[in-house]
Amino acid sequence: MLEIDRLEVAHGDAVAVWDVSLAVGTRELVTVVGPNGAGKTTLIDAIAGLLPIRSGTVRLEGRDLSSVPAHQLCQHGVALVPEGRRLFPAMTVEENLEIGCYAPAARRKRAQSLERVYATFPVLRERRRTVAGSLSGGQQQMVAIGRALMAMPRLLLLDEPSLGLAPQIVDQVFEVVAGIHADGVAVLLVEQNIVQAFAIAARAYVLEHGRIVAEGVPADLARDPRIREAYLGQQ
Amino acid sequence: MAGLFTGGLYALLGLGLSLTWGLLRVINLANFALAFLGAYLTYQLATAAAVDPILTLIVIVPGFFLIGLALEEGFLRFKLDELTSLIVTFGLTVILESLIQWIWTADFRRLESPYARTSLKLGPLFVGLGGLLAFLAAALLTLATWAWLRWSYLGKAARAAAQDGPMAGAFGVNRRRLALMLAGLSSAYAAVAGLFIALNHTLAPSQIYSWIGVVFAAVIIGRLGNALGLLAASVFIAGSEALTMAVTAPGWAPLVSFTLLIVILLLRPEL
Amino acid sequence: MNSGPRLSPTWGLVVAALALAAVPALKLPAFYESFLYLVFFWISLATSWNILSGYAGYFSFGHAAFFGAGVYTTATFTTAFNVPFLLSLPAAGLVAALLGSVIAAVVFRVRGVRGELFGLLTLAVTFVLSTIALNTRLDGGPGVFLAAVPVPTVFGTPATTLYHLALAAAFVSVFAALAIYRSRWGMGLFAIRDDEDVAEVLGVPTFRYKLVAFALSCFIAGLIGGIHAMFVTYVTVAETFAVGLAVDAIMMAALGGTRVWYGPALGAVIITTLTQSLTGGESAVLNRALIGAILIAVIVFLPNGVAGGLQRRFRRAAPASAGARTSVGATAGPTASTIARVTVATPAPAAAAPLLGCVEIKKAFRGLQALAGVTLDVRAGEILGLIGPNGSGKSTLINVVSGYYRVDGGQILLDGQDIARVHAHRIAGLGLARTYQIPRSFHRLSVLDNVALAAMFGGGHGRATGRSLGRAWLAFTGLEAKADALPGELNLLERKFLDLARALASEPRLVLLDEVLSGLTPAQMTDALGLVRRIRERGTTVVFVEHIMRAVLDLADRVVVLSGGRVIAEGAPRLVMRDPDVVRAYLGKAYA
Repeated sequence: MLEIDRLEVAHGDAVAVWDVSLAVGTRELVTVVGPNGAGKTTLIDAIAGLLPIRSGTVRLEGRDLSSVPAHQLCQHGVALVPEGRRLFPAMTVEENLEIGCYAPAARRKRAQSLERVYATFPVLRERRRTVAGSLSGGQQQMVAIGRALMAMPRLLLLDEPSLGLAPQIVDQVFEVVAGIHADGVAVLLVEQNIVQAFAIAARAYVLEHGRIVAEGVPADLARDPRIREAYLGQQ
Repeated sequence: MAGLFTGGLYALLGLGLSLTWGLLRVINLANFALAFLGAYLTYQLATAAAVDPILTLIVIVPGFFLIGLALEEGFLRFKLDELTSLIVTFGLTVILESLIQWIWTADFRRLESPYARTSLKLGPLFVGLGGLLAFLAAALLTLATWAWLRWSYLGKAARAAAQDGPMAGAFGVNRRRLALMLAGLSSAYAAVAGLFIALNHTLAPSQIYSWIGVVFAAVIIGRLGNALGLLAASVFIAGSEALTMAVTAPGWAPLVSFTLLIVILLLRPEL
Repeated sequence: MNSGPRLSPTWGLVVAALALAAVPALKLPAFYESFLYLVFFWISLATSWNILSGYAGYFSFGHAAFFGAGVYTTATFTTAFNVPFLLSLPAAGLVAALLGSVIAAVVFRVRGVRGELFGLLTLAVTFVLSTIALNTRLDGGPGVFLAAVPVPTVFGTPATTLYHLALAAAFVSVFAALAIYRSRWGMGLFAIRDDEDVAEVLGVPTFRYKLVAFALSCFIAGLIGGIHAMFVTYVTVAETFAVGLAVDAIMMAALGGTRVWYGPALGAVIITTLTQSLTGGESAVLNRALIGAILIAVIVFLPNGVAGGLQRRFRRAAPASAGARTSVGATAGPTASTIARVTVATPAPAAAAPLLGCVEIKKAFRGLQALAGVTLDVRAGEILGLIGPNGSGKSTLINVVSGYYRVDGGQILLDGQDIARVHAHRIAGLGLARTYQIPRSFHRLSVLDNVALAAMFGGGHGRATGRSLGRAWLAFTGLEAKADALPGELNLLERKFLDLARALASEPRLVLLDEVLSGLTPAQMTDALGLVRRIRERGTTVVFVEHIMRAVLDLADRVVVLSGGRVIAEGAPRLVMRDPDVVRAYLGKAYA
């Protein structure tokens, strides 16, 4: 589904991600973990078209994404749940969700998509007319995920969904993500919270300081000392 | 009563300005000069072709839409921020004013039309037809704009793009096309404002500047990008002015809007 | 702003003024005197406008208001109160200045009114004043006739007197602009334009500087207004409070270059000459259009005006800094002379009381408790690492200690003194400095001036001392070769070092570093770590927030770990990183 080959992304003259290669299968849930500052958000933003790619390729179902303008990416089946939610603060919950299916193909299924989102997140149905900026962190996260679902993606990109949320809410969020995956959507999950991410992922990569330092099955990686090193330094 | 109708005209003039400022972060001071250009063109076409002035809109509105597109293209290409756009459009205003003066001279021009001469009787009051139409047009356009922004998909996209551009883009909103369209729309609004200026007022190039302050006050008080707010603010200001004029000398009227503007800017600088 | 040119502009100005003063003696046709009068008129207006708006970046659209105040003061004083014309002039200036000061005193207190809002507000002031003038006895409608007012004749006709007065006003305005440009005040104004918040944190008295600049600007506008009243002899509200006047002044300043003292004057000369050569009949109208077009072209393509273009040309001609790609930080360390020149902070002996003490600090944002009661100590002379997972409150703590945010509760004790409620710009003077994760330099000031500014306002030095201190600090960080470059020309590591040099220039006892290593390559990181150690060797205490664990283990004497807004561990780095609570915070329960 998603193939990334030797990706390099820079912020101005600071190279944030280099020589990163990874893949996500058609129905896989893959996670990229790593400490803060490792470049996880940069990676996701580059895939989603929000940041320019300096070198390397990103292929979605075989098609090279670098030739696709940013606002058309969602039509190729990619949807983003960004770090920090980034809802449209002055618009209502329902309006935020509606923007999610702005693209023509998704818009035709608006009613059904809305129903599905409200079924997944009953709280949002109650709050459909509430202004997004006044919601709690957990509710905002749900709206952000819902908004991405409205785009009927085949690949969902999630950037640190656990950020700033209370532990119980984090549990709920990850349950939802696992559920979405179960419905057949491929997921690339970038996270700082290893426990939750490893619990639902089929495969994992460890990103440290812009490079992949380890990859494999979560069960194996969990015992890998390189993870400890990445987060806690040389022991 | 006259206050109500003048308010309508303020709202028409301010609609384009409010839209582009609120949604595109561009302060288009040239909106006023454009409106006057529209007014002069209405005068010219209606006089030369001897048609009903309102019909001139058929020609003028699309033309102005294109002008708006061209302007926004310039703003986007040169990446002008709010302050720079203010200065650049000031320059544009000067250019347009000179153009108007060169073509039509500084002499006063008055469009002769039945609208200016007719008065309707509404209850105990006599109401000028031209003014009434201006107000109706203002009410219609502001209501339509507000509704469009509120309920249509494109309107929501415009609001979303103003709040978080890249995220709107991530979900398929073509921001460039949207910006161009909004700018074209604003200029079209200016054209409509121009029509009613021509119907109700005597035209002179220097007149362009006399509206700037009041309309800015209305736009800011009514909150940027809020069409209905603009209408309410316009009527309120026009009403206060009328009141002031009735109570004291007419010359004091401008004081109302500008003092209000200053107060609002000081108290709520986060527009 | 580079070091001034070799020839003293002051003498050049005086010579030019004297030469121009002698022009009437040449008995040329009256046209020339009128033309020069106009040039002086516009030089005064444009230059005075620039003093606040160009230097500090607060674009005022209301210059006409203060000009008008001066016009009507003279008109009223001379006609209604029979005050001699010459005496009315300083009054005109003072009335305008007073008006400006009152407005400034109110407006500059409101943080949000900057940029375009300030422009609109000043525009509104023009309309308010014109309405008042129109409706009171100041004018009342028909205008004021001044033809009957006697004008002293010193060198011949009244016209000549007015010529000399205008020349004097132009000279005063340009001289003031030059003097300010070279002073501490001017540097502060330029810093305000680039980044007012950072300037304030560095100790620049922004309110005072802006207020006085505005008052001076209004004074000159009022002065030339009074003079002009007599020149035209018939004054009307419409002509006086014309918005076009403000726009013309802005345009001339923008054309010539708002960041240089002679820019507005240059622009005024160019535009006035152009206008004069294009007068007559039809082209008068089109000539206005041309001017509008010039304004647009200038703003879009030449943001620094003609003067800016010239400056760039001259800077490129100067020899490029030796070894443009010198690696920064390669210098072994401060030379003996720099240590001798820079006062060394006496390293405190292992003191009993900590240098910085945080006691139960709380801070919440919209329901999210970022700091839930943080208590920690920083000992003098140590390098303390502040770490924790994302969202643990590290950056918030830095922002709270440096005064950027207000605490909700708790105390921050710097050497025993509670600074929790002290304003950000006073904290610099108390010995605390910080750097930013993304370096925030004043991008239009040279590298040297960036640092000199901090030395001047943080350490209370004059300009010359500030500059030499700045050079010493640049040498300390290895940037001395780039002293005259602009921050935009530096690479990331150099910009971070500039940030550091600036933080150090105020001689802080404690410096807070916010993720100084982010974005650096491993080689650059080694350089940066070396510099941090040198900072501590000088006796400055360092607290640094960092994510890169290798660096933390390498650099820190002690480490404090935050999680969920609280301190969960502290001590020697390697021990702390093995602490089960810390492991759990980073990796979750499974790993502890």
